[in-house]
Amino acid sequence: MTDPAALLLALRHADGTFPSGGFAFSQGLEARAALADDFGPFDLAAFLADQVLRRWAGADRVALVRAHRAAADLDRVATVDAEVEASTASEPLRAGSRRNGLAFLTAHRRLGTPGAEAYHRRIREGMAPGHVAVVQGLLWARLGLDETTASAMGGHVAVIGPATAAIRLGLVGAIEAQTAIATVTADLAAVCRRPIADGQPFSAFLPVVEIACARHATGDLRLFSN
Amino acid sequence: MDVAISPSKTVPTRLGAARVGIGGPVGSGKTALVERLIPALAERGVSLAVVTNDLVTAEDAERIRRSGLIDPARVVAVEAGACPHTVIREDPTLNIAAADDLEAAFPDLDLILIESGGDNLASTFSLDLVDWWMFVIDVAGGDDIPRKKGPGVIRCDLLVVNKIDLAPHVGVDLERMTREADAVRSGRPIALTVCRDGDGIDAVIDHICRDVLLR
Repeated sequence: MTDPAALLLALRHADGTFPSGGFAFSQGLEARAALADDFGPFDLAAFLADQVLRRWAGADRVALVRAHRAAADLDRVATVDAEVEASTASEPLRAGSRRNGLAFLTAHRRLGTPGAEAYHRRIREGMAPGHVAVVQGLLWARLGLDETTASAMGGHVAVIGPATAAIRLGLVGAIEAQTAIATVTADLAAVCRRPIADGQPFSAFLPVVEIACARHATGDLRLFSN
Repeated sequence: MDVAISPSKTVPTRLGAARVGIGGPVGSGKTALVERLIPALAERGVSLAVVTNDLVTAEDAERIRRSGLIDPARVVAVEAGACPHTVIREDPTLNIAAADDLEAAFPDLDLILIESGGDNLASTFSLDLVDWWMFVIDVAGGDDIPRKKGPGVIRCDLLVVNKIDLAPHVGVDLERMTREADAVRSGRPIALTVCRDGDGIDAVIDHICRDVLLR
């Protein structure tokens, strides 16, 4: 990317200061860290690598890219959204993705991003679930961000969210977290280069995290939504 | 790449129920205040809903739901992601979405109370989220709280000093505390309450009705 305007736009929308609701979701990290006695000590770099390679690469990124390509046609976007709903087995992760998507959309509605109000109406009418990867693809496309950039932005957000959660939980220090993020950057970039076919189905396999999330959802004490 | 770098410079005006924030330190009496406000506002014909931001559990939301004072469906809990000030200031989108959902579910709503998780004296509400906000402190926290000039104490629309009945028991000079609060707030309103007994609640309601609901 050489256009500074495009780079600045991407930085702003993928930055941790952009209000998206993402800070309240650890994507299973809090739950997984709590199972250290059963599954071994928590390792942020390993957790992030699993998130990228076993979930984001085959599921969230595919949804984001397909929604990005469909952005001019909200019916097609809603079809992708429905597939995400149907293919996300873990209820806490599925519900968290919908809530995160709605919060993200809420900021864009107020900012007047094209498509945000119309898609929010569909969610309100029960015509679309509003998963975060889908609304990212839709709105970043409508802002003029190209597919590769939007994909990298989604990957960045998917990594910094859990990393920030780990810092808040006191599992790692802020500098140590940067080291863990750096270890998955090459994987993230490689995933972003993979082609995605039109209509490509979603795939993810993170059984330990999903089991941990299920336990976490019924627990009395938790700092994060999932 | 054809990027949109010059979007609308103004955020559209929001129509709907008024949104009032309630912040303050842990244990100062925020939930007790909400419990007193619910029946008192209902008595004045105000249609109400509540959003809570519990830090670790959904205890505050459950306490209000089970109080029998309000339809439990009108009470929503939003997790604070280990960071109570983020969800009311830096990134209030989850709370805004929750309030929007309540408005859609209950079109007659006049007012949504948004209770923050317990935080420190630097806690403030974003005006993206609320139209007006209160900050609750209590005398047992020490009569030097106003002198510390925390942003929450200084910038709120109404400072609520709660548990004033405890002042003689915790060595607090309430008159001095009130005078100092008045000074740091440049004369902006202060309410003295005992939320547990309902003392002073009418004055808080008067402020909400006059300053927020324009009644």
